[in-house]
Amino acid sequence: MQSVREEESSSIDQEPRSCGDNSVWAHVSPLLSAACSDLNECELIHGDNFNLFAAMSALEIMDPKMDSGMVSTFYSIDEAIESGFAPVPISSDRTVDVQCIIDIMDHLLACEATWHMGHSLAQTVFSCIYVLRPERTSSHALLHSFCRVIRATCRALVSVVSDARTNELRACKATSSKRRVFEARRKANDFVFVVCRMMQNWNLYKLIRNWKRAFAKLCYAGYVFHFLHALNCMRRPQGRGLELARKHIAYCIAELESVLSSVEFLSLETVENGKNEMEESTTGSGRHPIGFDPNLNKRLSAPTPPRAIKLLSWKKVGTSKFSAIDYYVKLLHNLDQICAFKLEPDLDAVLQFVVQFQKSRPDLVARAHLQLLLVQDGKLYGRDTFLTICARSLALDVTKNHGLHLNEYILQLNQLMINLLKILCANTPWQRRKLGKILNDWSIFNVQMGITVGHMMQQVTTPRTPKNGDKSALILNHIYGWLEEQIHWVALRFLVLGFDLKLYSPSEYCMVYWYMYIILWKLAEKAHFRVLIIVHTEEQKAKKKEDYSRDMAREDRISLWVLLLKCQTSLAQGLTVMIAALRNEGMCLKSQGPFNTENEKFVQHFGLLQKASLPKYDAYESFSESTCHARLDYLPVYECFRDAQKMAKEIKVGYANDPDKLAEVVGLEQVAEHNIIAVNLLCQDRCLKVSFEFIHHPHFATAVVRRS
Amino acid sequence: MEQVDAGGSTTTVAASTSGESGLDPIARVRKLLFRQMLVGIKDGRFFLGSFHCIDKQGNIILQDTVEYRSIRRSSPSPTEQRCLGMILIPASCRTSCHVDCSIEEQLSLIQLKE
Repeated sequence: MQSVREEESSSIDQEPRSCGDNSVWAHVSPLLSAACSDLNECELIHGDNFNLFAAMSALEIMDPKMDSGMVSTFYSIDEAIESGFAPVPISSDRTVDVQCIIDIMDHLLACEATWHMGHSLAQTVFSCIYVLRPERTSSHALLHSFCRVIRATCRALVSVVSDARTNELRACKATSSKRRVFEARRKANDFVFVVCRMMQNWNLYKLIRNWKRAFAKLCYAGYVFHFLHALNCMRRPQGRGLELARKHIAYCIAELESVLSSVEFLSLETVENGKNEMEESTTGSGRHPIGFDPNLNKRLSAPTPPRAIKLLSWKKVGTSKFSAIDYYVKLLHNLDQICAFKLEPDLDAVLQFVVQFQKSRPDLVARAHLQLLLVQDGKLYGRDTFLTICARSLALDVTKNHGLHLNEYILQLNQLMINLLKILCANTPWQRRKLGKILNDWSIFNVQMGITVGHMMQQVTTPRTPKNGDKSALILNHIYGWLEEQIHWVALRFLVLGFDLKLYSPSEYCMVYWYMYIILWKLAEKAHFRVLIIVHTEEQKAKKKEDYSRDMAREDRISLWVLLLKCQTSLAQGLTVMIAALRNEGMCLKSQGPFNTENEKFVQHFGLLQKASLPKYDAYESFSESTCHARLDYLPVYECFRDAQKMAKEIKVGYANDPDKLAEVVGLEQVAEHNIIAVNLLCQDRCLKVSFEFIHHPHFATAVVRRS
Repeated sequence: MEQVDAGGSTTTVAASTSGESGLDPIARVRKLLFRQMLVGIKDGRFFLGSFHCIDKQGNIILQDTVEYRSIRRSSPSPTEQRCLGMILIPASCRTSCHVDCSIEEQLSLIQLKE
């Protein structure tokens, strides 16, 4: 019997059998789930005639745009309201009514977080009938004001994000105006007022019986109030409201914690729901909220998949990975980080801050706020022009050279800087793509400016020209040098983001580190040149004025930065030579596959850099020439790792007051240390197995040596 | 095996089908390929088609599918049907899943549940 069935089922041409007399419908869900849990990631169970491309065109059931036959409970909002799906008041029993409202608040919070994460507003916040039809709730003060606050918050956030021109948030319509934020704040005040008035109206008996629920509501009122005030303060021009925003953010975090603490009480009443349902639940109590139907707006969903969405759970229970509350806590910490930033008119500091800020992978709302703070009215923080900032980073004085700010190159540079800052605030994949593209703009600009500045400098050397012209030509010449440094910085960021996005395979590390070495070396050279300019001009100023105080802190900071770059250069060089030697000796994977040659891979990864002439010579030829002779025997002769270690020790002292930088330098030092040991071991025993892992630093690999 | 009846059959079946239930679930699901499968989803519709593919997440692809739905308003037949061809049913909206098989096989599937 068994063997016959096997033969039958293995033949593809088997006719589908109808459910006849001898056959029955067998329930197979448990078998399927057992098989699914046994399957490996990305594995399918399919027959011989399976075709992936054909399968891709299968109609997806329950997808609002593909499945026109979805059966909905209601086909319009009016139908839902008529059938009593979203009653006002929710219940005649006051206690039940309040419980339901708290559930609705919880669910809306989860919806809003899901919206922030990139899903459509129509499927998240606007799945709530109370929010869709605010006029219906006017008789119910609490619900009415909460729904209005939520609508106002959404509008305020849409306006922030659309002002920042990051088109990541999916909204019904994006209209931008500062008025939205103020309107939101007013509504938040109304909501707090309503909650407080209701508290007063309740008599003492009820208050004692319901105090936990009242507490939960108060916390929500506090949270909404402070959140909107924080957003409002952050929108003030030139970062004037940041101090106050920080205070509101601190209150918000405290209120969220209080909301969480009320959960234990609320969820006690629904223990029967079971733990599994709690994990998925979008409310603190674990009940399903009243008045939500995500299918009502299904025709409004975005034209691209995935359209079936999963809301974040309200609170992290057991195995669920990320919850709405976690999201808000992270968002508030990120906003706090922005508010804590001292708005220094120093471009190095700004770039370092943005890079550091991006390390925690902030979400869209936080990034949009950072971008709005950095670039306002085409100026940094809305107050400093990029000319003054460039000049400051070179210790030049531009106040007297009035014509300079109208110079064509300076205007173009201003635009390039604005674009760069905006791109740096975008999400990582977008950032990398855009950085690659703008490198070309920068390099074309660099060439044009180089020609003009060259001419100007020639004229300066002839004695007839007026003195003021000399000065501006000199400043332009310095800015030209600074521009080259920035281009290399952008190129380095482009390469490093490849590690964050896991774009490089281990067989390609050799070429990546080689390229990083080239860029880092050039960047360090340019930065060092800048230090010399600064020292020179400061010395001259000090000579002219007896009482002139030199900005030693800045000089030290840049020198330290140069040293850090040199340390990274040595590490990149060491890794290149080491991996090349291992490859040449056949101890490490060669970057040869059946599809692409090494040259093709090289072009795929670094084509954009080469287009921007970084470096100016044929990079691939240089790479293969410089790495083909590397041998393990010579490795200890190159003391790259030792140099890096020594430099890291020096830098550590300088960064003693900066914990973020210190952590990075410690990481670099550890990479150097471990790689020295690995080189020694490998030279002694050629049978060892090597792999490269990012255990100490996210971009510099540590060689891990194993015996088998 | 022919004498399977409603009561007291479990032991007989356990003995006769122990070989089959010893197979791992993946192999057993592979044997269900190309069979007629009836899948019920959250909104109350049913889909009948031949089982084509399943992935780790439990999403199912059916071929030559017919959709069955109950009609809300009064109508001569209680259900309405239409042909859809190849469809993908996400695991998240699947509520039930049945396969057309002989009685013996059904009993061996029951084994798994116990």
